[in-house]
Formats: sequence, structure tokens, C-alpha cells
Amino acid sequence: MAKPKVAFFDFACCEGCQIEFTNYGEPAFLELIKHVDVVEFREAMSEKTKDPIDIAFIEGSFTREGDRARLEEIRKRAKIVIAYGQCATTAGINALKNHTADYRKEVYGKDAGMPHLDSQKAQPISAVIKVDYNAFGCPVNKVEVLQIVSHLLHGKEPVIPDYPVCVECKRRETICRYEEGDHCMGQTARAGCGAPCPADGIPCEACRGFVSDANQAALKKALIQKAGFSEARAEGKSRMFTANQRGDAK
Amino acid sequence: MSAHFIKESDFKAFVSALIKAKPVYGPTAKRSKFVFSRLESPEQLRLDYDVTLLPPKKLFFPTSQDLVRFDGDKFEACVQPEEKILFGVHFYDVKALDMTDLLFREKNPDWNYLAHRECTTLVASSIQAVAPRAFWGSVGREVQPKGHDAFLTKIQGGFVYEPRTPKGEALLKHGAFGKASDEQVAEARKANDDIKKRCPQELKKPSASIARKVRAAFDDETLWDKLAEDCFSCGSCNTVCPTCYCFDVQDVWNVDQKSGARTRTWDACLTREFAEVSLGAGAHENFRESRGERFRHRIMRKAVYLNEKLGGPACVGCGRCSSACTSDIADPVRVIEQIVKA
Ligand code: SF4
Ligand code: SF4
Repeated sequence: MAKPKVAFFDFACCEGCQIEFTNYGEPAFLELIKHVDVVEFREAMSEKTKDPIDIAFIEGSFTREGDRARLEEIRKRAKIVIAYGQCATTAGINALKNHTADYRKEVYGKDAGMPHLDSQKAQPISAVIKVDYNAFGCPVNKVEVLQIVSHLLHGKEPVIPDYPVCVECKRRETICRYEEGDHCMGQTARAGCGAPCPADGIPCEACRGFVSDANQAALKKALIQKAGFSEARAEGKSRMFTANQRGDAK
Repeated sequence: MSAHFIKESDFKAFVSALIKAKPVYGPTAKRSKFVFSRLESPEQLRLDYDVTLLPPKKLFFPTSQDLVRFDGDKFEACVQPEEKILFGVHFYDVKALDMTDLLFREKNPDWNYLAHRECTTLVASSIQAVAPRAFWGSVGREVQPKGHDAFLTKIQGGFVYEPRTPKGEALLKHGAFGKASDEQVAEARKANDDIKKRCPQELKKPSASIARKVRAAFDDETLWDKLAEDCFSCGSCNTVCPTCYCFDVQDVWNVDQKSGARTRTWDACLTREFAEVSLGAGAHENFRESRGERFRHRIMRKAVYLNEKLGGPACVGCGRCSSACTSDIADPVRVIEQIVKA
């Protein structure tokens, strides 16, 4: 690929994953833009484009029918589409709203009638267009994103882990949260982050979503039997980042 | 080779002298657990450890290891073996290293492992505390540890040090050793024999009969699916195992897109992706699709497939997998019991 054109687009999200892209530090970032031509990136520049692009990073979930046409238009002119961040890959935290009816009043009170709050179910962008690769995480892992870009520049398939976080905890000899009387969801959570949270004594919340064959029944059992959770708490525990991947996804 | 004795009060000075001579790795405390790490002072050495989180294999076969570094068309091997002393390895881990030594040496010798292994002086030590899931007292009794250069046993008032190789003998000059008396040697023997009876778990049958029974259960799909029902495919049982040796190799470019490294990382056959192979044109096939098949594969590898090559089972009874499995289904003793019962 001769210096590919790269663009960022955002839908329902906090744009934190785009910010993460600017966090490489100057030397790495300046080196990277020698290899890619960033043509649209509203967190860092004002230019916009309607030209064909090589790699489109799409951030955010699909939550409004009105966004369909824009997604399709991006797909049409992009050679490669990367769902960028957890909102885009699985609808991440946004999908929590799929399980509530009263969020407008609860969250916005007297402003509940604002027109832009009129959104539907939160879905990954793959619900609308074909996605070629996923950059998981809330936020994305910037080192992994760099590797995805590198692999594409070299004409290789990006390597994106689909094994649980336990693999990474065990490799770095982190004492299991369960061994310390705590709970964790690393057994079903997608790795690729390097497991920093359990190493700091914090349970894994599965911010990269579930692995593709997560054993959800066994997770619930471990939360009850090993961590002493109530049935209800164990049942709902994983929902924060995985609402769309659970057995009860709406 | 003759046996030597060092007084408890002289032991610290010995370890200090070793640390001055070469990098020394040994069991150290990590909160309530233990890990092998580089010693900075003799106080860090915890010979009273029960078991370490990862086995000492990681010093020769790191969890992630650069094999080759490249820059454009230029490339060079980058394994830099370090002359070192590995101190305080329990006999079951020595047995496991004997297995990885053999497996990495056969056919295409793997110098990335062997280079690290060969420049190491390995001092084994007696077990002073028994891990909660250990069964090394009963598994593979027919196999004796042999890859160590010396064996250190804690006895009344000090340690008996028995060199097994010239490398092990060479360490004697670093400590105030005297000749061990016959009584001290006998006391050491007894300590090492007695501890084997103190494991909380035990395999009741000899390896050959277990291997026959486990192999005979191969086609019992219902049994394997049931055993693996709560399996997370998390590979913890593989990752902590001293006899697992599978790895994955990937190229990673630096941000200049020109230079980078070819890196190998530990792999785990219990993870879903492990047996996924490309069929070309973006298609994949997984030849161990179900949890039950993957679970069976590990048990077959530990209790059956490698026995002939290794002279005994590819499990040394450290109990690490049993402790690491959140669902508590990986314990070889319980799995074998259930298979034998079925
Ligand atoms: S047997 Fe246990 S440790 Fe092994 S992959 Fe399954 S859940 Fe993980
Ligand atoms: S299978 Fe389990 S008990 Fe046996 S050597 Fe491996 S980790 Fe230790």
C-alpha cells in the first residue's frame, strides 16, 4: 500500500478512543504519519473529505436510523473498515440502554424531550455495514491499534486475540482475584489489554467484551460459588460492557 | 560425588557469594504466593516456598521472547543467553525441566531454549512446605529427576549439599562447606523420602494403568463434555504447567514500519483459537472445536501420549493447574478418578 489515506468517523460514543490515538507521544505519532495520510480526524484537525479512503476507523455505536446512510456512504468509499473501540465493535456500554426504558427521565430529567435523545437500540456498526477488523477495548489499546495498522501496511492479517484475560494474568504471574477473595470476569473477557487491572488488584470488567465462546453459565457459577455473589448480582454482573453479547441481549 | 554440609549460620554468606559471582534466580515471595525471580539479597530467597506461580521453565523459555530482530533486509538472532544460577528448584520441577530439555532437543534442536538452559547451573532443593493441591508424591514414581547440578536438603542445623555434576561442585568454593557425616546424609535421604508421603492428594494407580484407562475413554464424548462443562477455555491450566511447551510466533513491526521483531509467546491448547487453521481465502477450520475435545486433549497429553517418549507421564504433580483453574475442573487427580470410575 502506498501511503494509505486514513480517516476517523464517530457515531454514538465519547470519542475517547480517538483521543487515545493522539496519546502515542510525539515521536511515535510523527513517525506514524510518515506512513499514513490522515485525511479526516476531528479530534486533531478541521479538514474533512469526501474522497475514497483506504482505512476508515469508525468509532461509536449505531443507535439512530438516521445514521444508516452515513455509515453506508463511508463503507462505499473505504477499502477497509475498522470498528474502532468497544462502542463500535459490540455497542459496549451504550448497549446498557437496551435494557432500560426510563433512561431519558432518569438521566436528563426536565430535558428528557430533547430530540437527539430519540435513539433506538444500541448496536455495533456491523449491524449496518460489513466490518473488516475490530479494535476492541474501552478505550482501544493504542499499541494494538498500531499493530493492526502495521499489519495492514504490510499486507498481513491483523492478529486480534480471542482468548480470555486469564492467559495474560497467568503469563505475568498475577495472583488471581478469586485467590484473594475477590471476583473477576477475566475468564470470559477478551484479552489483548495485557491484563493491567488484576495486576493492580482490580477485577477485570471485560471492557473488551466477551471472547467469542464465553462460558457465561460457568462465569455466573464462579461469581456465586467462589466470590459469594447473590444470584441476582451474579446474573447482572457482566452487563456493563457485554450487554449485546450476553444470552439475554436485546 | 561426595556430600557436603553447610551450617545454617553460614548459609546466607554462601548465597551472598553466589549473587556476587553470577546472576542468581530463586523462589521469592509475591504477597501470599511465590515466584522465581532474580535475587538481589540472600534474604529474598524463600526455600520454605510451597510452589511458585509459574514454573522455572520461564527462565529458558520466556513467556514472550524475541527470536529474531530485523531491519529492512537485515536480520539477526537475538537470543542472548545469560550465565546464571537457578537456585532452589523442587524435584518435580526438575523432572519437568528434564521433559522440556528432551522435547526442545529432539529432531530440530531449539537453541532459543537450549542456549539459556545450557549456561545455567541448577541447584535443586528439598521441599519444606507442601502446596495445597500437590500430588508429586505419587505421580510418575518411575521417573527420577536428573537435570540438576546439585541437590540441597534442609536438615537439622543446616543443609546437605550433594553435587551431581562438576558445575554443581564448582559452587562449593563460595561457601564454608565441610564434609557431611553419614548421619547427615541419612537424615537428608529421610527428609526427602518422608515429604513424599505428605501430599494432600494421591494417584492410586501406577502410570501405565492410568494411561490405559484414560486412552480407553477417548471416545466417551459424554464424559469429556461433562468434565469440561464449566471450562472457560482460558488456558490457565496450560499456562501454569511446567511441562507445557507450545508457542505461537508473530512478527511485529516498529512504528518505522521497517524494523521489528519475530517474537514467540506461550500458547495454550485449551483456548478456542489454538486449533484453528486457515483453509485459505479467509476461511478457517477448528480441529478441536468443542470444550470437551480440548479438555480431553490436555489430559491425553499429560497422561498418555508422551509417556513412551518421556518414560512416564507428562505431569509431575505440582498441582499448579488445580489451583489456577477458576472452575476447579483441571485437577488431574480428580479428572483421572472420574475417568477410572466412568
Ligand atoms: S480447565 Fe480450567 S484452567 Fe483449563 S481452560 Fe478450562 S477453565 Fe481454564
Ligand atoms: S498437569 Fe497440572 S499438576 Fe501436572 S504438571 Fe501440569 S500443572 Fe502440574
